[in-house]
Amino acid sequence: MTTCTTSSHIYRHCVRTIAPLLFTGVVVAQNATDGWTTYHGDHTGRRHSRLAQLTPDNLHQITLAWAFATGDTASIKATPIVSNGIVYVTTPDNVWAIDARSARQIWRYTYPANEGFHIGHRGVAIDNDTVFFTTPDAHLVALDAHKGTVKWNVVIADAKKGYWSTNAPLVIRNHVIVGVAGDFDNLPGILTSVDPKTGATQWVFYSTPPPGTAGSPSDGATGGQMWMTGTYDAQQNLLFVGTGNPTPVLNGPAREGDNRWTDSILAINPDTGKLAWGFQATRHDTHDWDAAEVPVLIDAPFNGAPSKLLLQASRNSYFYVLDRTTGRSLLTKEFATANWAKGIDQDGRPIPDAAKEPARNGRLVAPDESGGTNYRSPSFDPATGLLVVSAHDAYGIYFFRPDHGKYGWAGADYGVWGKSILRGIDYRTGAIRWQHDLGDGAAGAGVLTTASGLTFTGDTSNNVLGLRTSDGATLWHAAIGRVGNSPITYELDGRQFVLVGAGSTLYAWALPERAVAR
Amino acid sequence: MNRLQNVAESLAPVAVLLFLQPPPAAPPTPEQLQAGQRLFAAQCGFCHGRDAMGGETGPNLARSAFVRDDTTGDRMRTVLRDGRTDKGMPAFRLTDADVTAIIAFIRDQKTKADSPGARRSVDPEDLQSGNSERGRQYFNGAGRCATCHSPTGDLAGVATRLQGLELLQRMLYPSKSKVATVTVTTRSGEAVSGQLAHRDEFTIALTDSSDRYRSWRTADVTFAVNNPLDAHVEQLEKYTDDDMHNVLAYLQTLR
Repeated sequence: MTTCTTSSHIYRHCVRTIAPLLFTGVVVAQNATDGWTTYHGDHTGRRHSRLAQLTPDNLHQITLAWAFATGDTASIKATPIVSNGIVYVTTPDNVWAIDARSARQIWRYTYPANEGFHIGHRGVAIDNDTVFFTTPDAHLVALDAHKGTVKWNVVIADAKKGYWSTNAPLVIRNHVIVGVAGDFDNLPGILTSVDPKTGATQWVFYSTPPPGTAGSPSDGATGGQMWMTGTYDAQQNLLFVGTGNPTPVLNGPAREGDNRWTDSILAINPDTGKLAWGFQATRHDTHDWDAAEVPVLIDAPFNGAPSKLLLQASRNSYFYVLDRTTGRSLLTKEFATANWAKGIDQDGRPIPDAAKEPARNGRLVAPDESGGTNYRSPSFDPATGLLVVSAHDAYGIYFFRPDHGKYGWAGADYGVWGKSILRGIDYRTGAIRWQHDLGDGAAGAGVLTTASGLTFTGDTSNNVLGLRTSDGATLWHAAIGRVGNSPITYELDGRQFVLVGAGSTLYAWALPERAVAR
Repeated sequence: MNRLQNVAESLAPVAVLLFLQPPPAAPPTPEQLQAGQRLFAAQCGFCHGRDAMGGETGPNLARSAFVRDDTTGDRMRTVLRDGRTDKGMPAFRLTDADVTAIIAFIRDQKTKADSPGARRSVDPEDLQSGNSERGRQYFNGAGRCATCHSPTGDLAGVATRLQGLELLQRMLYPSKSKVATVTVTTRSGEAVSGQLAHRDEFTIALTDSSDRYRSWRTADVTFAVNNPLDAHVEQLEKYTDDDMHNVLAYLQTLR
């Protein structure tokens, strides 16, 4: 196996070298052993590491190697990026570069005060010596990776119209792909590719056309924002990205029809910004169920045939398996509580029950608005064939009456009750092979799996958890505060570290130095 | 009563007037409201909506009982400063002037929401579609509500105390009710009962009858939790929307 880096030409080389392994079973993850150089660890979205120093047998020995408190009140929701011995971690308006050995701060960059939404931040992207950082007012800033100084700063979308960005950009060769959000206004969904050197716009992809477009394929809906980081298959040269809900959000009658391409999984050519195919996870959504969740790419047998697959555990509580060469559905199965669909259509899409659309007197709907899962990333473990997902069984009540209007939210909804469960979903059947209770409420932690059979995540109390991937049994925990990001792992000086954010502190766990030396 | 105490008591009302009551609130200036709106949109808007009338996860503050009852603004100040981390709200580092501006904006939005024609609200009139007789039958039958509740006991006059959305939310899941109890049995055989204070995979905690907090590692004890709210959770997957509206209509008759 080769070592892959984010350097674009080496990445392509690395994909070629592993190609002969394709279709011999589930292909192992490709991320570099020494770092975590992209949002998902690699371009597949599996968040699976082949580091194996930490094992089910020694996990109970791990100890705190370091902790880094940002000193800010904002929680860490970002995936840290680790490259060349430096950890980059973010909150809205802030980037910290810290020494991956000692947690010493190397530099901090603070973006000027602005009026964009300060809800959270997913992290940076890195390409050679440049760090890319999105801002609450929908700018993309390029920083010098060594000094934290600004190389350039460009506008991605108009914050005055209601766009903002929390997005961790995705670097694909000479493209920095960046998404935005904007649920509170009727805004078309846009994904932008910029030149990593200059910040110049290369293309803009619209998931829904601007309001008033004649013959609109979205039936008048706006929205479909691509606020989560996508994935990439170099062989196909396709970028895969999930799109968000339609706007107006809860007013269905204002936009009768399927509302393409909202709540969809899209395959886009990263060189041209042209759509190759789309699959709609929720037709005519009236509950804010973005399909922005990670499109996970695996090459594995399906119904006996070697297949190039795309998996998504979607916010609407359904798990999808697609053939990623065509976008055709192979499997659709409920993985969290849902009461909004009357069945599955011939194209693998759940059929919305009109009786569960928001109404004047309220409708009791599962899942609630925060969904069967959400931004917290899942992880795919090749050895077991499980997609491990932080799921949420929940109910909400949804209201709409005509005077709520046709703009923005256009309705009202309230969570009633929910609980969180980590579920191991068999990609072949959608069956839940095991589940692990995470507590009442919604968890904020994503999932990491490793080749040694470990799974890391957090519960809804204040525990980080180390589990056995084969059955979900607890091997280790520490009460460090509510985990708000997706754990990652990297190797440095011959030692494997697991990084987890809780509150505004980043914690690094590893075996004691002496144990490693032996 | 000794003299000192007497003096202290006679002074107390004065002290309250001088120090505890807020100064008569000066109406916010337009600049303050503008600053409050900007700050609110950037820092609070995603969860509570830019207009404070509800967003992705946070409640509609213009319709919030918490805001309505916080006449001095002290509780809002505390929540902004310390957060409500158990409910997912972070603490904010804001200047006093910023906090004052934000509170002024929330109050102004509340005034607007209380005026006719305000949007994105659920009014009591919206929730009058149910059939109270069918609701009564469900209450006593399939819903099993009568197992724990009585129209002449705990629910007597409930429709006078709670209306509209608040009544519906409490009916579906009374999240503020801390009614779960637990009995923990230690290895030595000691059994301790009390109100459930915390439970996760690793820790079980209770408040005993003398208000003492006690916790154990779950691995070291056996325990039995009795949470009457579990019945509300079980009912969520059984209710049809008609059932829900009918039971609400029945509760609305309990004045």
